[in-house]
Amino acid sequence: MISTRIDEVRAWILSRHPERESVASDENLIESRLVDSLSFVELVYTIEAAADVEIDFDAIDIQDFQTISAIEKAFFARA
Amino acid sequence: MVSSLIDSNDRFLGILDRLSEKSVNDYYNPYRVFEWPDTLPDSMWWMSPELTTTHGTAAAERLTQEQLYALSKYESINFYSLNVHGIRELLIEVTKRIHTSGFETPSEFFHHFIGEENEHMWFFAEFCLRYGKKLYRQVPGDSVSIPQSKVESLLVFTRILIFEELVDFFNAKMAADERLHETIRNINRIHHQDESRHIAFGRELVEILFADVRSTATPEELRQIDVYVKRYMIYSFESLFNPKVYRDAGVENPQQLRKELLTGPVRPEFERQVFRKTLRYLEKTGIIGDQELVLR
Repeated sequence: MISTRIDEVRAWILSRHPERESVASDENLIESRLVDSLSFVELVYTIEAAADVEIDFDAIDIQDFQTISAIEKAFFARA
Repeated sequence: MVSSLIDSNDRFLGILDRLSEKSVNDYYNPYRVFEWPDTLPDSMWWMSPELTTTHGTAAAERLTQEQLYALSKYESINFYSLNVHGIRELLIEVTKRIHTSGFETPSEFFHHFIGEENEHMWFFAEFCLRYGKKLYRQVPGDSVSIPQSKVESLLVFTRILIFEELVDFFNAKMAADERLHETIRNINRIHHQDESRHIAFGRELVEILFADVRSTATPEELRQIDVYVKRYMIYSFESLFNPKVYRDAGVENPQQLRKELLTGPVRPEFERQVFRKTLRYLEKTGIIGDQELVLR
């Protein structure tokens, strides 16, 4: 189940980058510009919907959003 | 150089003088000009229903009248919160440039701009805190993603202009809407009056900044500007669709509603209406190649 739901985040990233076929779990999403300041908010909402959590914007730690595996650990581990 | 383009542009210099003079003549004390009742009734439109994100959609038909009123209340708090965050960002950018090289001539007007924006930020925040008991938070993004440093000022002032024109579309309609409470109409009316000066200034400045960039830019650099500006417009429009608003209005699955609205049939027309004038201006100046707002 967990892998299916984190795959929704992966699918969202790929949907915005049709030139890409895959995103590795340890690929840095921000350095590789797969996510930038204009798409970051959509990433947050995509995680909220997929993990069924509400993310506190005041407590956002950018480290939790750097890679797919960091996102999985921060928001999907409790599922 | 931008400063030589500005100083040789008699039209812009004349406009700057007129706008600065108008700012002085129209000056008001924002801390005294508004009446702030202790509460506003919940059973009323807080925002023109046509401007709410569910208007004309199947989702609106599933909501009761009371839920629609609640939605308009929280959407209005979101709208003013967006104003507060947008003003903070534009104040930072304009303050960074006032009395610096290239911006010597518009600095006089920047003083009025900064002063007025600070006051707008105050009354929008006051409205949110008084009647919504909060400001909706902004998702902290990375620093502004600007394709190249030499176009930074162009993109900064284009962003400010897009933001102001989006807000003004709402302000103009709500100022004239007799269904809304007088306090709500007033803050929209006052803001609309001040912003007409800021928009007039922004349109002239952006045109000059773009002329400067275009004189040396490659076709690929111009394409990147087109993509960035359109992405910023889409981002700004989508910030009106806030899942926390839907949650506060009692919607059970706020993320699903947001997705339904953003991918639904009503969105493209709403977006076109909001940006009708802005798209026409940006295409006319050549900053964007066409008026199609699609992610690329």
